[in-house]
Amino acid sequence: MADPEKSIATGIIISNREIFKDHFLMILRVPADFRASVPGQFVMLRREEGDHPFLGRPFSIHSLYSMNGETVMEILYRISGMGTALIARLTADDRVTILGPLGRGFDVPVGKKKIVLVAGGMGIAPLFYLAEYCLEERRGELGETVLYFGAQSSHHLFGLDRLERLCSSLKLSTDDGTFGYHGPVTDLVAGDALSFERNDSTLFACGPYGMIKEMARIAEKFSIPCQVSVEEKMACGIGACLGCAVRASGENTSKRFMRVCKEGPVFDTREIDWNWREG
Amino acid sequence: MKDNNSRRLAVDIGGLVLKNPVMTASGTFGYGEEYAAYIDLSVLGAIVVKGLSITPREGNPPSRIMETASGMLNAVGLENVGVRAFIDEKLPFLREVDVPVIANILGDTVEEYCEVAHILSEAEGIHALEVNISCPNVAQGGIDFGVNPELAFKVTEGVKNATDLPVIVKLTPNVTDITEIAKSVEDAGADAISLINTLTGLSIDIEKRIPHLKNITGGLSGPAIKPVALRMVWEVVRAVSVPVIGVGGIMKAGDALEFLVAGARAVQVGTANFVNPRSTVEIIKGIAAYMERKGIDDIKDLIGTLKT
Repeated sequence: MADPEKSIATGIIISNREIFKDHFLMILRVPADFRASVPGQFVMLRREEGDHPFLGRPFSIHSLYSMNGETVMEILYRISGMGTALIARLTADDRVTILGPLGRGFDVPVGKKKIVLVAGGMGIAPLFYLAEYCLEERRGELGETVLYFGAQSSHHLFGLDRLERLCSSLKLSTDDGTFGYHGPVTDLVAGDALSFERNDSTLFACGPYGMIKEMARIAEKFSIPCQVSVEEKMACGIGACLGCAVRASGENTSKRFMRVCKEGPVFDTREIDWNWREG
Repeated sequence: MKDNNSRRLAVDIGGLVLKNPVMTASGTFGYGEEYAAYIDLSVLGAIVVKGLSITPREGNPPSRIMETASGMLNAVGLENVGVRAFIDEKLPFLREVDVPVIANILGDTVEEYCEVAHILSEAEGIHALEVNISCPNVAQGGIDFGVNPELAFKVTEGVKNATDLPVIVKLTPNVTDITEIAKSVEDAGADAISLINTLTGLSIDIEKRIPHLKNITGGLSGPAIKPVALRMVWEVVRAVSVPVIGVGGIMKAGDALEFLVAGARAVQVGTANFVNPRSTVEIIKGIAAYMERKGIDDIKDLIGTLKT
């Protein structure tokens, strides 16, 4: 049993700035003994003061590191409703309650050389952490890390300078054609997929539902394993509310439903029945 | 909890003695194991597990939940692993914890309720049953058991005949007169009554003009429903003589105390578990601190002491 007292942490905000319209980067100080996380895991975050919003909100960990003897966590997010709008108003020294790290993160297999990251918009949030992990923790063991990053418009391609240092190459796209390939990022991946050595490559994707569903299709077509981080509304983050269900695919009939917070948020695309929900 | 505290806080619910009046509400605490990393489960009065049906239920497609003003709507759809998987896979963990386990049960027909009740009665480690009667009766064209006094009577009577365990019946607030249903289940032999289940609600995305929940409507829980729950508990306490368990929007010790003063012999903490997994423990401590402050030696001297 984990130490109950340590499972809930207080974070103190260092900065919470808007990087472009409705998109924010929160940097916060967390306790030194904040449990180690795996890229792809998430936290439930809630303002410490006040009863509004009522429930915590789930956020992928964008980065977690030590700086000047302190543990610092970064969260990259977009305002998508009332809860995130209120979180966006927090400023330096405000305190938040943090549950986590929670869920199952990415599993970077031993012996695979090529890491292919595919991000759609804010889907870059956990993949940035994964790129850091591949470079810092698995250096030498892994070969190249390639990032495919698509977004609505050029200014939505956030953090390219940092990403350039972490990845061997960047392939960029925008929906409006203001930068890189004009069209969905999955087009770029599908176009290159034949060149991926299928026994030596792993795909890691995060983005809107339609995009990760398309990644599932590409993974199947080219027989390349693909792990995706799935987003769903959740109340508790710890497996109790069952708000965040996804249906298991036929190959995984022992459980008919899976919880994004507990069995996920990272799934192998083959584990999910992609026809369960629309959108 | 010290022995001293346990004695002062102990309550009796239809023959089941709880070390304190704070239990978890069904559907908000999984099968207990989800919270073991956050609290010592053995300090709880009881654990009420997620509702169980005769066969596993998949539940509704997402979106299943939506936050609303001071509360949340859910339409999980009674997703559960089924009674047999519960006994085989979930109950062994709970048997190792020194805490009474109350199994919440549900069904489409009276026969299904009885079968689930019977199976659970044969299993070791279940201390009471809580009957969720807020389910559509398939044989009666889908009308909820809990909104019709005769159907509520039949399902309660059936479950009582199928088990020797204490039977708690959980009432829905979505009725005209909740005391009528309460009296009916008491007449059918219920050992205790818990209320309220969620209030049916709706939330709409005005940009897309679609419901926020895929199921269209959902059950409202959280602080928003507490005054309604409290009023209904107060009404039911005066209408029946069996113990009443208060449920609805309890977030803090003060909320739980309101229900106890209104006459509830115990309470269930639900949605608060989602917000803070340690809510139950903090509420138990808060009740003890209140009694200390007020010089109340035994919680029985507090229950039902509302001055009107």
